[in-house]
Amino acid sequence: MPYAWIRTTATAPDHSGAVCPSPAPLAELRLWPYRSLPPQGFVVFFGVTAALIAVPLLAVIGSPVLWGVLPFFIATFAAMWWGLKRSWSDRAVVEELRLWPDRVTLTRTGPRRNRHEWEANPHWVRVTLYPRGGPVENYLTLSGAGREVEIGVFLSEEERVALRGELQGALSGLK
Amino acid sequence: MADAAIHGHDHHDERGFFTRWFMSTNHKDIGILYLFVSGFAGFIAVAFTVYMRMELMHPGVQYMCLEGARFVADASAECTPNGHLWNVLITYHGVLMMFFVVIPALFGGFGNYLMPLQIGAPDMAFPRLNNLSFWLYVSGLALGIASLLSPGGNGQMGSGVGWVLYPPLSTNEGGMSMDLAIFAVHVSGASSILGAINMITTFLNMRAPGMTLHKVPLFSWSIFVTAWLILLALPVLAGAITMLLMDRNFGTTFFDPSGGGDPILYQHILWFFGHPEVYIIIIPGFGIISHVIATFSKKPIFGYLPMVYAMVAIGVLGFVVWAHHMYTVGMSLTQQSYFMLATMVIAVPTGVKIFSWIATMWGGSVEFKTPMLWAFGFLFLFTVGGVTGIVLSQAAVDRAYHDTYYVVAHFHYVMSLGAVFAIFAGIYFYFPKFSGKMLPEWAGKVHFWAMFIGSNLTFFPQHFLGRQGMPRRYIDYPEAFAYWNYVSSIGAFIAFASFLFFIVVLFWTLLRAPRTAPANPWNEWADTLEWTLPSPPPEHTFETLPKRSDWDKGHAH
Repeated sequence: MPYAWIRTTATAPDHSGAVCPSPAPLAELRLWPYRSLPPQGFVVFFGVTAALIAVPLLAVIGSPVLWGVLPFFIATFAAMWWGLKRSWSDRAVVEELRLWPDRVTLTRTGPRRNRHEWEANPHWVRVTLYPRGGPVENYLTLSGAGREVEIGVFLSEEERVALRGELQGALSGLK
Repeated sequence: MADAAIHGHDHHDERGFFTRWFMSTNHKDIGILYLFVSGFAGFIAVAFTVYMRMELMHPGVQYMCLEGARFVADASAECTPNGHLWNVLITYHGVLMMFFVVIPALFGGFGNYLMPLQIGAPDMAFPRLNNLSFWLYVSGLALGIASLLSPGGNGQMGSGVGWVLYPPLSTNEGGMSMDLAIFAVHVSGASSILGAINMITTFLNMRAPGMTLHKVPLFSWSIFVTAWLILLALPVLAGAITMLLMDRNFGTTFFDPSGGGDPILYQHILWFFGHPEVYIIIIPGFGIISHVIATFSKKPIFGYLPMVYAMVAIGVLGFVVWAHHMYTVGMSLTQQSYFMLATMVIAVPTGVKIFSWIATMWGGSVEFKTPMLWAFGFLFLFTVGGVTGIVLSQAAVDRAYHDTYYVVAHFHYVMSLGAVFAIFAGIYFYFPKFSGKMLPEWAGKVHFWAMFIGSNLTFFPQHFLGRQGMPRRYIDYPEAFAYWNYVSSIGAFIAFASFLFFIVVLFWTLLRAPRTAPANPWNEWADTLEWTLPSPPPEHTFETLPKRSDWDKGHAH
């Protein structure tokens, strides 16, 4: 389930009267790529790995040979640690779509501090689904303010198809 | 924001030959490269065995003479036995087979190609690291061959110390050949560790949504377990041979009793690596065999979860049994009892696997296509090797069998025959997927039967030789051992002939046969994700997440 509506137009409270400098958006959508390793899995993996590494080290403890073997274990352990962390950070992408009555913004953060933004007037925003011809099947884009931007390229095909309807519903709810 | 990119979807592969194969970061291309290079290394290692079996065919020394190595026996010419040449051949046969043939073929080749496909990942987690692993492997192989051809002990080329590189033999061996051999093992170890990190990361973090660890195909599981074993075992080897290198070159005495070191300690850490190493070799074979047997029995694999946990158990147990390789070094009775019992326990998860494969076939509609024949061969040979393993695990019995041909027969049954039959099962099973071409069935069957008869003829009589007391690693033997050695040599020539036949068939098919293989040339029980792709698969696969219905058939693989 790599996307979720934080709040939707249906549940948004009526906003009347006081004008805030930046009122809370009426609807907010968050999308992220799926990753199959949860933090608990990371802990279990390194726990078992460290326990098994201890077996040969116990066998050579008290002998100079320990110092011949230990650096290689530390290097391998560190490299494995780096590998899994790096794999997470490679996929640490979050797309956030926020809808106001007069404004729609899409921010894409990551991987690694890479940040892109897009802003348009929801009245003119068009949601397009390209079944073919895009970099992925059922390519979903938003166009407005002279630009066409992609959304949810990392989702599965079915998710993008479902998301298209939800986006159109949310946008027409604003009009 | 990533601006939308709409363009034609049929982007052609515009890479030239050099760019595609030498700078490749594509897991499928790297897998193919691994298979070819390991095949090349395998050919060298097998050629050595043929020369060795020629020499052992008759008592006395006919070919490996100090006056010059011969290929044609000449009774009229003087021949002084050249023990160094013999030792060099057994050493490089071992080093090449252990480090440069079986692991790269199964783990590097099949693992790279198939594991990302089976879990629905677009590529490995670190494609450029994958490229580095492959080229480190090639460099290691080049160093190994350089070591064979550079000045070594006894004023001749190469090092004759055995693949285990025991000190003091390895620390006293002259010349730079030994140092190059150590570097070769180092570099190939670095390649394996980087490959393992890549595989583990890919397996853990890039599985398709919904594919929990209990739904991953068995081959991918086997690659993960193998990668984990590599991660835990190879650093020990790297440490051990680094100390060997320092003992040789920098005057340290890690393994030299004259300076307070302990040569037995080297054996302990070598085998702490070495025993998991043999499981590193065979476990990917288990994965391939599971898929082949399930496909050609037209049934889902029997007992998926026990199969997975049997592999994990074999891997973990592999780390606590190492000293059964060295019962004769003078361990206490308690130590020997422990290692003996721990070793016997491994028969339990192995038995779970063997019986689950048999139960998969039970009541199935078994079809004897070539890959299934190889899987059958694997099952039989691996079981024979396993049973002799139980015999050897007994510390008391091992007193008699230690360093005899019985041991040679045992480990060749599990590794040379077990792992190699698994490799061939994998080649015949996946060749249509890799190349889009079908290997001729008749040729596969000829290859199988010649190899099966030849390799059994080679190694089964070695049990008899071992029981008669023939020690391993000698160039010559007394008259009494002549009969079975003759039979064994005949078997080796048959097996080698079948290998040559296979090479011809392979290249003929690659170069001449049309691309006719459908996406799934077998049947609907070959139901993992790679069979949903065309044969051969396009350059980029699973750039979007696969549909769950494509891989989740309700039963686990």
